[in-house]
Amino acid sequence: MNVLILGGTGNLGPFVVNALEPYHTLRVTDVNPPEDTAHEFRYVDMASMTQVVEAAEGMDAIVNCSVLREHRKIAFDVNTLGSYHMMSAAVTHGIKRVINTGPHAILTGPTYDHIDFMLTEDIPPHSGVDLVGGDNPYSISKSLGQEICKVFTENYDVHVMCLLFCGLKNPEHPRFFPGRDVTPFVVSVRDAAEACRLGLNVDLKSLPSKNEVFYITTDIPHGKFSNAKAKRILGFAPKDRFEVVWHKVADN
Amino acid sequence: MNILVTGAASELAHALASHLSEDHQIRLTDIVDIKTDLEFVRCDLGHDETTNELVRGMDNIIHLAELPPDYSDDSLDSDNLTIDFLTRCTYNLLWAAVEENVKKAVYGSTLELFDKYDDDLTVNENWRPLPSTDPYVLGKHLGEFTCKEFARTSQIQITCLRYGEIVRVEDVKGQPYDPAWIEIRDLVHAFECALGEKQAGLNREWSVFHIEADAPDADYPPARRARGTIGYSPKYRFRE
Ligand SMILES: NC(=O)c1ccc[n+]([C@@H]2O[C@H](COP(=O)([O-])OP(=O)(O)OC[C@H]3O[C@@H](n4cnc5c(N)ncnc54)[C@H](O)[C@@H]3O)[C@@H](O)[C@H]2O)c1
Repeated sequence: MNVLILGGTGNLGPFVVNALEPYHTLRVTDVNPPEDTAHEFRYVDMASMTQVVEAAEGMDAIVNCSVLREHRKIAFDVNTLGSYHMMSAAVTHGIKRVINTGPHAILTGPTYDHIDFMLTEDIPPHSGVDLVGGDNPYSISKSLGQEICKVFTENYDVHVMCLLFCGLKNPEHPRFFPGRDVTPFVVSVRDAAEACRLGLNVDLKSLPSKNEVFYITTDIPHGKFSNAKAKRILGFAPKDRFEVVWHKVADN
Repeated sequence: MNILVTGAASELAHALASHLSEDHQIRLTDIVDIKTDLEFVRCDLGHDETTNELVRGMDNIIHLAELPPDYSDDSLDSDNLTIDFLTRCTYNLLWAAVEENVKKAVYGSTLELFDKYDDDLTVNENWRPLPSTDPYVLGKHLGEFTCKEFARTSQIQITCLRYGEIVRVEDVKGQPYDPAWIEIRDLVHAFECALGEKQAGLNREWSVFHIEADAPDADYPPARRARGTIGYSPKYRFRE
């Protein structure tokens, strides 16, 4: 497949490139060029409808790894308008498969996250208005972007799989400590990238609807978020496990 | 009450301000200059202190969420402008409102969110909106989404009014009847109801009302929730 990667040179993007390159022809785009790449690279700003639509020409699928978190104007440009541009590009070029990504707070902001357990993906989005009680529209601007994706799937023949992450860890430098526990939603960046690959493989007819959201977390015992849907539908099988984090360290 | 009305360049804002200024202090705002005898503050609803200054001291905000007619901006095309205004600017306005301790806002939305349902259905506030991807309809939907998140998580109560095409009875005389019509004076009355005087006992963070014209022959009375809850009582009929 010809696959367009948006925001392809950040933290997750290069892992997605690694996961996809044996199987697909890639067009990597971002506002920051990669240091070195074997693939076509184009400068594409998510805030530009023209650039996003032109970049999608000739593509069979789109994977959106772009995000801008802090800035109160650019966050909406990239995360909200960017989604509108991506979906308009998909419709313009008849692209049937889009993989969107974002933080778990796209769905489960404070009104769920501070309160509930056994959260599933098939719930109305409650992103809240800020990420960490501060002046940061990350989750709501991403959630608005995903809502745009959903509305497009209800109006056009296009499928969106939205993969939600939290605390993407580089398995070589996971930056946490044994016995100290972790946010109850965690995944390695290479398992997250593998989920993107699985999303490109899945038979669209097997999806329950044209807009499906997945929690992409490793197997985790806290009982707050579960990856059962990703396993069942995408065949997700996380390799990187972080058990040492939630087991107490024995006193010597 | 001190009331801020956004979208000041619109005819609805003009009608609202003239009526409400009889009993309230009105401040109008828009992203372009307008002529008015009332207090007017031009504001981009950006993320800066000017939006805080705009809402400071207000008891209530009527956010019509309408761009000025024929507005353009070199940096964005018109589809983007609409979506950007209805999402980011609504966010900035409500963020500032919460910071400045404004307790209530009324958001102007559209019944076009229900255009995809068949006409013979009893569509009301209990039905799920089905927005199209038209930037205005999608944008209004995303604006509602933004309001809901503020209502859910912050100390601000938000009432959403959805309505159709705003007309004056005298202007549509002789034209084929359109069930989407709402008479501007009835709509002004609906906003006045939503401001809260008649909402005794209704203490919800988020409420939605469909504001429709009176239709004496309808089996299913229009605007039933607004009539029963906020005392909406339309006076204008397009058909006898
Ligand atoms: N890193 C995490 O822990 C984490 C957690 C939860 C969810 N996620 C989600 O995973 C995805 C990837 O995140 P990441 O950690 O790789 O983010 P990142 O910030 O490392 O990378 C984002 C990329 O988007 C690009 N970008 C920014 N503005 C752009 C614009 N205007 N146009 C085009 N590209 C632009 C950046 O240059 C960057 O390469 C995002 O959807 C994010 O919300 C990440």
